[in-house]
Amino acid sequence: MAFLDNSGDIILDAVLTEEGRKKMADGTFRITKFALGDDEIDYSLYNKTHASGTAYFDLDILQTPVFEAFTQTNAGINYGLLSLTATDILYMPVLKVNQQAALSNTVLSPTTPTTNLFYIADTSTDTTTNLLLTTALATSNKFLVSDGTTGPAILLETGLDTSTIAGDAANKSSYLVSNNLVDSSFHVYFDNRFIVSCLGPSNGSKFDNTSTGTSGSPTLEYTLTRATSVTTDFTISNYSACRVSAGNNGVIKDSSYSTADTTVSAIAGPRGSFTALGFVVKPNLDSEFTLYGSVSQNVFSDSKLYSYIDTTVYVKGTTTGAQVQIPLRIIKYISG
Amino acid sequence: MAVINYEPLDTTSDVTTTKTLLYEAIPLTGSILSGTYSDGNIKNYTHGMFQSVYDYPYLSSSANHILDLTVGFSAGSTLSGSVSSVQESKKLNMYNQFAQVLLGYTGSNNAVREFELDLNLDGSGKASAAFFINFSRLITKDQIKKGSFSMIIGTGSWALPFGPQTATLTDASASETGGTNNTIGGDYGLLYDGTNTARGLVFYQAGIVVLGTASWAAALTDFNSGSAAGSLLRYTLAQSLVSASISGSCDALRHRIKNISFNNTTEINSTIYFCRVPHNKYNYSSNPTYISSSQIRVKSIATDTSVSYITTVGLYSSNNELLAIAKLSEPLRKDPTNEITLRVRLDY
Repeated sequence: MAFLDNSGDIILDAVLTEEGRKKMADGTFRITKFALGDDEIDYSLYNKTHASGTAYFDLDILQTPVFEAFTQTNAGINYGLLSLTATDILYMPVLKVNQQAALSNTVLSPTTPTTNLFYIADTSTDTTTNLLLTTALATSNKFLVSDGTTGPAILLETGLDTSTIAGDAANKSSYLVSNNLVDSSFHVYFDNRFIVSCLGPSNGSKFDNTSTGTSGSPTLEYTLTRATSVTTDFTISNYSACRVSAGNNGVIKDSSYSTADTTVSAIAGPRGSFTALGFVVKPNLDSEFTLYGSVSQNVFSDSKLYSYIDTTVYVKGTTTGAQVQIPLRIIKYISG
Repeated sequence: MAVINYEPLDTTSDVTTTKTLLYEAIPLTGSILSGTYSDGNIKNYTHGMFQSVYDYPYLSSSANHILDLTVGFSAGSTLSGSVSSVQESKKLNMYNQFAQVLLGYTGSNNAVREFELDLNLDGSGKASAAFFINFSRLITKDQIKKGSFSMIIGTGSWALPFGPQTATLTDASASETGGTNNTIGGDYGLLYDGTNTARGLVFYQAGIVVLGTASWAAALTDFNSGSAAGSLLRYTLAQSLVSASISGSCDALRHRIKNISFNNTTEINSTIYFCRVPHNKYNYSSNPTYISSSQIRVKSIATDTSVSYITTVGLYSSNNELLAIAKLSEPLRKDPTNEITLRVRLDY
């Protein structure tokens, strides 16, 4: 896709998307609202220390070349602009995966044979058995089990990931709650060729460090249930979306606690909400392993053969827009 | 990923429609019609009823269809009924087909109306025999612009068709406000030569030129001396229309076209969406680079102005389906001190 000529006046190059053309064809084309995006912008180019003053801070940003319009729906606006009413917001929440060792019943990404990749066993029982071998992933918190409603799950947290602001209850209220920066749910996007559904926490799920008195030890309680399917404008081919609920992230900083809040939470400052994720893998993925993955690989160098598919799950807060991508490996034991 | 914040469009105040006419100049040189490609760009068909002209040898995928040529005369023409006639029924059929589509029928017996070299359709000034030039939709687009058509034909000998003798036929008297008549085939104007005598018709919406035979002198003995001109190798125009095949007469016509030019018209209907961005909205971004360690990069302290930069406008259905995308040519700064109206035009 070429860049637009930006040597003259500001112009708008508008095109119908594939979905727009489809709607035009079936007679249901009707535009009712708009949204704004800034996908090309790299805000790290904003130079607040430019010697010539504030007028020059965004010089590089304003010179960013802008792509012509893409017609694939998913390539439209990936990161929308936000209409937050407060003008004095300095911090915005992030969404992070919590892999703190102090927690139990959460899934960690193993450090070998891969890093930053979460594993999920397919539906066959011998896959779980073999992944638990010491020569493989060894422990049950290194991989998800398909449709595992009791966990372990991927724990996600939102909040201000900065050590500048203490993660106490007062700051949570002033920085997050009062600015409506706490997510009540998340959208999860997954490849429906490999994953049937995702699981989210049921009502009554809890994550805090206040339930155990002054020790500050974490409490994580959840049961996973099938999430509700939703329709959004996120339309990567073969991706489906569902909504999982978010619970109040009750981890706070209290200097009297013997366990530091930062050893419990992945967020350094005030926390907003949390959710726990699991997935239901499509049964009988053998043909998909051949088409989209790798077949009969000695993944753990233990002479046992596995087939796997690497896919990506996208999670986005429905209020804050904070988002994270989770690389996921669906793995199946074959032989050995 | 899914957008979080949408802004509604009020269909009464934020949406309007407009129509724009776009004109393109179309020059067709005679060398395209005859000569440049040694007729490799001329396609004849086994049915022999018309001939197609391309801008490149038609066997190439790069070739574009420019126009079709054919010839015909009515049953009432003096040319009709000749014993030496070649393809007479097809010539009658061609004339009738053009006449019934462009002019329709007349009288209680629904006779096909014949072409007339005037704007009256009163039965006088008939052109009972004619060449027909059908321009393709590719070059006429929605219609030929009235008053823009010009055609130079050679009226000289076969050997020197353009020598000192050419005729320029134009519809200069036609305009959007007059000089035309309308029929079931659309508006048509007259093609006048330099003596202000009507020699043909141009149907603007249909993109068809009807060229009367009086454009060439009846005494011109070698109107057609091409390969289709029989053993004498020279036909008058009347002889060519009767005794040569349709494609043979079309070859002769192409030999005598020096230049054709006109402006086409494209009618662009547009819907304009006024996307009004209030001062207190869209001042923050969910772009991952917007924050560093959770702090907004464009701010140093909380009271600094929040800033975002617009590059894209997405237009959505009520079901959050992205139907159209508009891109700005450069990022547009948005902060609480300004309100922006982005005028997004969708053309159909």
